Amino acid sequence: MSDRALTFMAKLKALFAQRRADSAFDEEMETHLEMLAEKYEREGMSAKEAAQTARRQFGNTTLLRQRQRESRTTMFFANVWRDVRFGVRQLTKAPVFTIVCVLTLALGVGANTAVFSVMHAVLMKMLPVEDASHVFYLHTTGWPDGVSQTGDSNTSFSYPVYRALREQSGLQEVMAFIPMSFSGKAPVRVGAVPEEAAGDMVSGNYFRGLGVGTELGRGFVEKDEDDHTAVTVISEKFWTTHYSRSRDVIGKTLYIKSVPFTIVGVAIKGFEGTEGKRSLDFWIPLQSRPEFNAWGSPAEDGMYLTKQNFWCMKLMVRTEAGVSREQALARTQAVFDQAAYIGVRQKHTDDPTYKLSFMDAKQFDSQDDSFARALKTLMAMVGLVLLIAMSNVVMLLMARNASRQREFAVRLALGAGRTEMFRQLLTESVLLVALGGIAAWAFALGATHALGSWAQIQSNLQPDGTVLWFTLSVLFVLALVFGLAPLRAAMSNSPEMVLRSSATVSQSNWQKMRVGNAVIVTQIAMCLVLLVGAGLLLGTLRNLLNTPLGQKPKGLLVFGVHPQHAHTKEESIAFFVALQQRLRTIPGVESVSMAENRPGSGWSSNNAGILVDGHKPNGIEPGQASFRRNVVGADYFRTMGVQVLQGRDFSDADSPSAPKAVIVNETFAKKYLGTLNAVGHVLSDPSGSESDLIVGVVKDHKYTSITEEAMPMLWTLFAQGGAVNQLNVEMRVPGDPMAMLPTVRKVISQIDPDMPLLEPMTQSAVFEQSIAQQVLFARLAGCFGVLAIVLIATGLYGTLAYRISRRVAEIGIRMALGAQRSQVVWMVLRGSLLLCAAGVVLGVPLAMAAGKGLESSLYGMKSLDAASYALAIAGVALVALLASAVPAGRAANVSPTSALRME
Amino acid sequence: MAADKSEVLQGTLDLMILKTLEALGPLHGFGIARRIEQLSEDVLTLNEGTVYTSLLRLQQKSWIRSEWGVSENNRRARFYSITDRGLKQLAVETENWERIAGVIGRVLALEAKA
Repeated sequence: MSDRALTFMAKLKALFAQRRADSAFDEEMETHLEMLAEKYEREGMSAKEAAQTARRQFGNTTLLRQRQRESRTTMFFANVWRDVRFGVRQLTKAPVFTIVCVLTLALGVGANTAVFSVMHAVLMKMLPVEDASHVFYLHTTGWPDGVSQTGDSNTSFSYPVYRALREQSGLQEVMAFIPMSFSGKAPVRVGAVPEEAAGDMVSGNYFRGLGVGTELGRGFVEKDEDDHTAVTVISEKFWTTHYSRSRDVIGKTLYIKSVPFTIVGVAIKGFEGTEGKRSLDFWIPLQSRPEFNAWGSPAEDGMYLTKQNFWCMKLMVRTEAGVSREQALARTQAVFDQAAYIGVRQKHTDDPTYKLSFMDAKQFDSQDDSFARALKTLMAMVGLVLLIAMSNVVMLLMARNASRQREFAVRLALGAGRTEMFRQLLTESVLLVALGGIAAWAFALGATHALGSWAQIQSNLQPDGTVLWFTLSVLFVLALVFGLAPLRAAMSNSPEMVLRSSATVSQSNWQKMRVGNAVIVTQIAMCLVLLVGAGLLLGTLRNLLNTPLGQKPKGLLVFGVHPQHAHTKEESIAFFVALQQRLRTIPGVESVSMAENRPGSGWSSNNAGILVDGHKPNGIEPGQASFRRNVVGADYFRTMGVQVLQGRDFSDADSPSAPKAVIVNETFAKKYLGTLNAVGHVLSDPSGSESDLIVGVVKDHKYTSITEEAMPMLWTLFAQGGAVNQLNVEMRVPGDPMAMLPTVRKVISQIDPDMPLLEPMTQSAVFEQSIAQQVLFARLAGCFGVLAIVLIATGLYGTLAYRISRRVAEIGIRMALGAQRSQVVWMVLRGSLLLCAAGVVLGVPLAMAAGKGLESSLYGMKSLDAASYALAIAGVALVALLASAVPAGRAANVSPTSALRME
Repeated sequence: MAADKSEVLQGTLDLMILKTLEALGPLHGFGIARRIEQLSEDVLTLNEGTVYTSLLRLQQKSWIRSEWGVSENNRRARFYSITDRGLKQLAVETENWERIAGVIGRVLALEAKA
């Protein structure tokens, strides 16, 4: 070890024994002095004289002690500690400045990090699979007519296509996966309580092909697919929540749709399936039992394994290492061109080709467009806030340190070292940014989770550390540059110069003022954009909340029921009729009905093609007569609280044997019958095979969502219709609907202990959820607007207050020369109003451009909504006035005599 | 201050202390100061406190070590002794010193040429 290193080690060691070393050295000095004095006494001096001479000979003990202490240990830590303490003292001395800076950083940087992280996760993140660059989702532009398609139109393929691609395309792997149902969930039971869990039916090569390992046990093998083995792999999260990570979970039984499955593995942490936003709890190999038909479809309609024109499988591929994406795609396309017609019909030469494409194995395959757009808008807003925040912090720092120029000069004059002052300012900036960073991280954690749950991404979402560090470093550099600039100014002028120079002299820096003005104008412009955006979105929210639904969702409990043991149409009808009867007997229940598509959930059956009394409906081509439909139960409209305008509601008398009844809405009646008096007319499909008698006309009301425009609708009865494998029960009860839930659970479990209630909630909540995205979006926008306002206010206040403080002398002279208080106040206010006006002029065109971009997210609002603009401008002006009120008041209170004497 | 006394040259005190410890064995600060005083025959002025600064520096470089002991007149005192590293350093520094002293001696011995 070098001498230098040895010295450093010794010093470091001494750091922990300061006090002991001090007293030891004192003792050593004491002994030395005594011995020296004795020596002098022996040489003939008096005791007093000897002691004095000894002291003289020894030197200054205090100085020596100090020197010893300094060289005994390293001063580095002591200095840093002193700087930190000094910095903290400085920051606590200006609490408003500190709090504003830290909060500004926290909100600006935190919000930025959160939104970016979610956006990154949604748009960029790859699946956590091995060598994701060779794994692709398979998409198609279409399918031959004659195909029965289920699922998303561009990702569904048939079983024959899957087999053909596996066997002929030369791809390394072709993996198939099918959701358990449209919601992705299926009833499962771990202990005694039935519940729902999300799962996929997958091919045997799924885990191997993706290169996804297991925490425990094994993934699937080919044999699992071939034999349709009743085994399951559960997700790490499900393992944690349902089995508390117990290692003997392997071999246990998980009941899925009442069928016992043996758990053979736990997927590796972080892998939650290939279903995008929906994270999965379990996987099972492709099954052949009727209750495991693809997407939970009724087995009556044909099983996915045998019905060759049933396109319902989602596919992923892994290309061979060495084969380019284009080559692999071309070969796959060639196989697909033939395979697409297997079991459908003969391929004709003039058939169009349906183009396949490989999509990157991003975490989110089928991106929800509106969602991505909302995120991008948010990102833009956050970016603006961040810009405002950054410029604010910089301006505050500049103003603060510039006003400390005198302090620096004094300290320099008193002999402070330049390095020390530099270090101190540096420490202050670092402290500020560090505090802001900590707060920002805390904020980002919360905000990321909030955004994640908004986006319904449960998939291991974390704030992105890189972004946070990046923004913080940029801020740090800014803080450094602008925080230290005044120090440089103070140093380049000789201290006496700065000390002597008066406020009037330092005011003369017009260039600096112009830069400050430009920053403020830009800030106000950005603030205006944010406020207009927030105004438009909040207006949209108001419209959404105030839109009449045409029904009374309050007091309605809704839950889905999926009978496990009803396999035929007759069985399921009997089941639901009996269920309705049973539920009606629960004390306190006012009425019970059922619906295939839950109103407000966004689901709907859309059809076209209808004849009225055997003729074209009101002169419209039957094929063009489109309408939405829902399959419901008796008492439906009474239960939902929808007004019946003509005729009657469905009743128990509309049994399977009774004539088929249908109820239409106003729009349907007016559009396709030309009159509201539609009762008694007969509707039939163009082939004329089925005919229904219109028994009632109901008032238009919202079906799929709040934003839905009124459109033709008709309702039929499940008791008189085809197979239904799942219905939503609507129950009208007095008081809180959720209070009825335990009773309902008990009744249902008496019918079938394995049958969970699917997504039980109040009907009001269904509608609330349907606009949850817009609500959160609008609230966030509102928050950003308020944030921007607060930031602008603090920035403006800080800058103005600083400027006034530099102009005290000037104002004093003005007043001494006869200026009135009101004139002084006006001078200040006029300044900030001018800045504000400039900001508005700059901001309005920007806001108009931004409003255009927002148009698709608006409901019942125009992008050029005058009220939003007026409010935004008024808001900005008001803030500018308020922020300048205090400095203006201070300026008005300048006493000419004392202001002049100060110089 | 008398004109015929010299300040201790920077760095030479370390060398003197090392040499003293090598020659006399373990010694306390007072003893070291006495020895230097005695050898310098009052040519050098020395604030005896400075010895301790030097001792600390030498200790940090592990050239000397110290332990508490009892002095000849029964006082508790810290005794310093030279280490192996210190001995090596002493050899190096002695050689350096002699070389420089030699050079300076030769330079000073040059007689001005007429």
